[in-house]
Amino acid sequence: MLTKLAGGRLFDPANGRHGEVADLWLRDDRVTADPGPGATPDVVYDVTGKVVMAGAIDIHSHIAGGKVNLARMLMGEEHDRHRFAGSACGCDRIGGGSGIATPSTHTTGARYIEMGFTAAFEPAMLGSNARHAHLEMSDIPYIDTGGYLVLGNDDFLLDLIATNAGQAAVNDYVAWMLTATQSLAVKVVNPGGINAFKFNARKLDLDEAGPHYGVTPRTVLTVLARAVYELGLPHPLHVHGCNLGIPGNVATTLDTIQAASGLPMHMTHIQFHSYDTAGDRKFSSGAAALAEAVNRTPTLSVDIGQVMFGQTVTASADTMAQRHTAPLAHPRKWLAMDIECEAGCGVVPFRYRDNSYVNALQWAIGLELFLLLDDPWRVFLTTDHPNGAPFTFYPELIQLLMDRDYRLAKLAELHPDAPAHTTLGSITREYTLAEIAIMTRAAPARILGLADRGHLAPGASADVTVYSDLPDRRAMFERPDLVFKSGRLVVRDGALVAMAQGCTHVVRPGFDDLIERRIARYFDERIGLPIKHFRIQDAEIRHGAGPQLHPCRRREVP
Amino acid sequence: MTFHPDILCPFCGLGCGDIGIDQDDSGIAPRPSGCPQADRLFRRSATVPTDARMGGTAVSMDDAVAEAARLLANSHAPLIAGLATDVDGVLSALTLAERIGATVDHERSDALFRNLAVLRRFGWSTTTLAELRNRSDLVLVVGPDPAAAFPRLWERWVVPEPAFMPDGARSVVFLGGEPMPETAQLLGGQIETVDPGAADLATLVAGLRTALAGRAATGDPMTGLAARLRAARYAVVVWAAGLFQGPQPDMVVEGLVRLIRTVDGTTRCAGLPLSGADNVIGANQASGWRTGFPLRTGFDGGVPTHDPERFDWRRRLQDADVTLWISAFRPEMPEFSTNGAVIMLAPPEMAMTPEPALFIPVGTPGIDHAGDVFRADSVVALHAGMLIDRGLPSVAGVIGRILAALNQTATVKETAGC
Ligand code: SF4
Repeated sequence: MLTKLAGGRLFDPANGRHGEVADLWLRDDRVTADPGPGATPDVVYDVTGKVVMAGAIDIHSHIAGGKVNLARMLMGEEHDRHRFAGSACGCDRIGGGSGIATPSTHTTGARYIEMGFTAAFEPAMLGSNARHAHLEMSDIPYIDTGGYLVLGNDDFLLDLIATNAGQAAVNDYVAWMLTATQSLAVKVVNPGGINAFKFNARKLDLDEAGPHYGVTPRTVLTVLARAVYELGLPHPLHVHGCNLGIPGNVATTLDTIQAASGLPMHMTHIQFHSYDTAGDRKFSSGAAALAEAVNRTPTLSVDIGQVMFGQTVTASADTMAQRHTAPLAHPRKWLAMDIECEAGCGVVPFRYRDNSYVNALQWAIGLELFLLLDDPWRVFLTTDHPNGAPFTFYPELIQLLMDRDYRLAKLAELHPDAPAHTTLGSITREYTLAEIAIMTRAAPARILGLADRGHLAPGASADVTVYSDLPDRRAMFERPDLVFKSGRLVVRDGALVAMAQGCTHVVRPGFDDLIERRIARYFDERIGLPIKHFRIQDAEIRHGAGPQLHPCRRREVP
Repeated sequence: MTFHPDILCPFCGLGCGDIGIDQDDSGIAPRPSGCPQADRLFRRSATVPTDARMGGTAVSMDDAVAEAARLLANSHAPLIAGLATDVDGVLSALTLAERIGATVDHERSDALFRNLAVLRRFGWSTTTLAELRNRSDLVLVVGPDPAAAFPRLWERWVVPEPAFMPDGARSVVFLGGEPMPETAQLLGGQIETVDPGAADLATLVAGLRTALAGRAATGDPMTGLAARLRAARYAVVVWAAGLFQGPQPDMVVEGLVRLIRTVDGTTRCAGLPLSGADNVIGANQASGWRTGFPLRTGFDGGVPTHDPERFDWRRRLQDADVTLWISAFRPEMPEFSTNGAVIMLAPPEMAMTPEPALFIPVGTPGIDHAGDVFRADSVVALHAGMLIDRGLPSVAGVIGRILAALNQTATVKETAGC
């Protein structure tokens, strides 16, 4: 089938197009070159004057797996209040569901595609829970997915480091685990800290030796960053640093940047890691210092983890941090789990209030970071869904970035002491459409190594979103005119009109088989499960469709 | 004769992955596994009747599917229960439930809801089986010995020395229950029983919490146990809520979670609530991600509604006019009485009286076809493989055909909406 989108303004920064008027052609599930005057398209959409972008990509959103499902269980009141009927439109059925902060699977897919997002990545998949995460991802319609494997608190890795097994052994282990769990990237969460908590340490600083193994978070971080680099994974090590949420943690975050010493690193939800201790309340913004450090470190990329006001739930593998947050739970209930000698999970419901000084400042710090970071190719739009806010707040967040007057009006509504402790009011920058297209399309695809996503050149996946260029940016990004997934029109005027299924993206760096013997012994002796049952087969991914593989290119650290 | 090593067992929820299976022309049989459930349930004959039955008479699969679709489409109060099947089977049951407005529940959800009720109103602090095995220096077993429902719990997860404890020592204390003889044999000298005189579990747990708060009377046997919990490096409190007798079992669970939180404030302590046979955990997980709610959820006009009391299958059975009962793991039925019609999806070995309106034989996940099941600690999902082809379809396969039949009759209505 040949489709023509006629006369739109193309925002396709990966191919140097920043609003030029051009037709866009789709053949079946791919973007195709203009077939020339003789061609007759099967369908023509007149999109004259409209904004045409690739489907948006969310690089960090907790959408699937054990902690999300536990959060759904804990958020019963919210689910009771927000229940949705299924829709029988299209030739397949999208199921009903419930929830805002922890939407059920079909609801997750529906909410994303309605906003023009065609991919979202689960950033915290535990190896032991990977099969569960994949089962959930297979049940999310419309969008592409993939998982980042959580390493860095697993007893096996800490033992490799403590016994000086060497970088090559670590690399093989990381590669084996990525393969066995069908993951796309490696994430480290509070390096060593979750493990230390199991030995009853309640805090672990970057250069503090952890219990039992005597390994510091800095070592874990650098060993993993190096493994990811040498294995040639497209996505750099995805880092959730130490001391999340603790006033003064910006110092740790700056040290963490130093620790990477030139190795590529992606620092996630940095808003939660940008707190200083100035002022009477000993809580202030560290955004300026952090933004400056990121700006001058081209090997770094970041996402923000913006806080927006309202009820949500925080779900994280960082049991250590979540235990600190637990007394602030709203409603007053929370849960924590230690998991399979690998990591853990903590779920704490939370309500961010604009009349709370701390929450207001968190909101402002996130925006400061967005606006002070000058390279949109290295900063990503996230709320760390659902930890800072549900992903459905993205249109509002985009308006805050693109519209200074709107931003100042919102700032004026906050806790009266907050504006004095942030530079937000004095920042004049407004994101352009081209920058939004970079931050939500081109850059995420590039940082994840998804060569045929996030742009509109011939050969790209025909994931396309068409918006009306409204001055009200929130309204614009909330309700695209048209959304195509793999060439199929699935959303028209903000409503679902047909069903589609995305795919699951993975990497598979090779490894030396020798490591498998060591892992097998560990699984037999410690985990109590033959590794063949741990390994996830291709046929298990997306009901037998299998994963989409992305190449890795081995490198050596200079 | 073929030997299959390291086969995954899908039955009780402990996820043993080391079962040896012999296969010959007559069928499959397990090598003795030390587990009565696996030894019995892995024994399957190669030749079984694969016919569906309508009112006791053999019919073709096509006719059976058409009849199931007819019964379900005309039902005003359908119930889908049993739900003992792999994750795919559960998901297809949820799709069907949404399509016809049924409620869903699992045969063994009682134990699950005793724990879930506490999770949903209070939260929990728990751990998983590998942490128990490698980290715990003190195991506190509350209530009846869980080995009654989880036969190899001690052998696989507590007999091996805890790798991350400096001296590898571990004690196991029973509170409000006695170790079974097999447990006593396995754990021997590690076992102690605290018996502060006859009292129900709720009272025992409250007594231990009082002692932890430092308010127990002098000489109270709980004082010593409280001190042990406080001194342990990583205590794990294990219970199988399904085995609890006595009133308000969820209050016992809540007391335990509060107790764990108290201890965990200074040293490490975590719970291990066990409920898991026949993939009840997987059924609940799938319900959670598909609907946003646990089991005991129904669909009214396609909108999910959860009601842990009203949608308990035992209660719904009273007013359901059609019940689709799914029992793919074992050819056994619980006590069952309904005035409505019953459609049964079960292994052909199932003996049932009275004969249901419709019987459709299905295979067992992990024997007749591959399928995913969740472990009792709720984190680990396992993919059980296929061992033998006896021509039996999966639950997901049968329900998929029922859905297709339903959609055929509804096509006109559905496309008109678009
Ligand atoms: S203990 Fe449970 S999982 Fe293990 S063999 Fe027995 S029934 Fe199967």
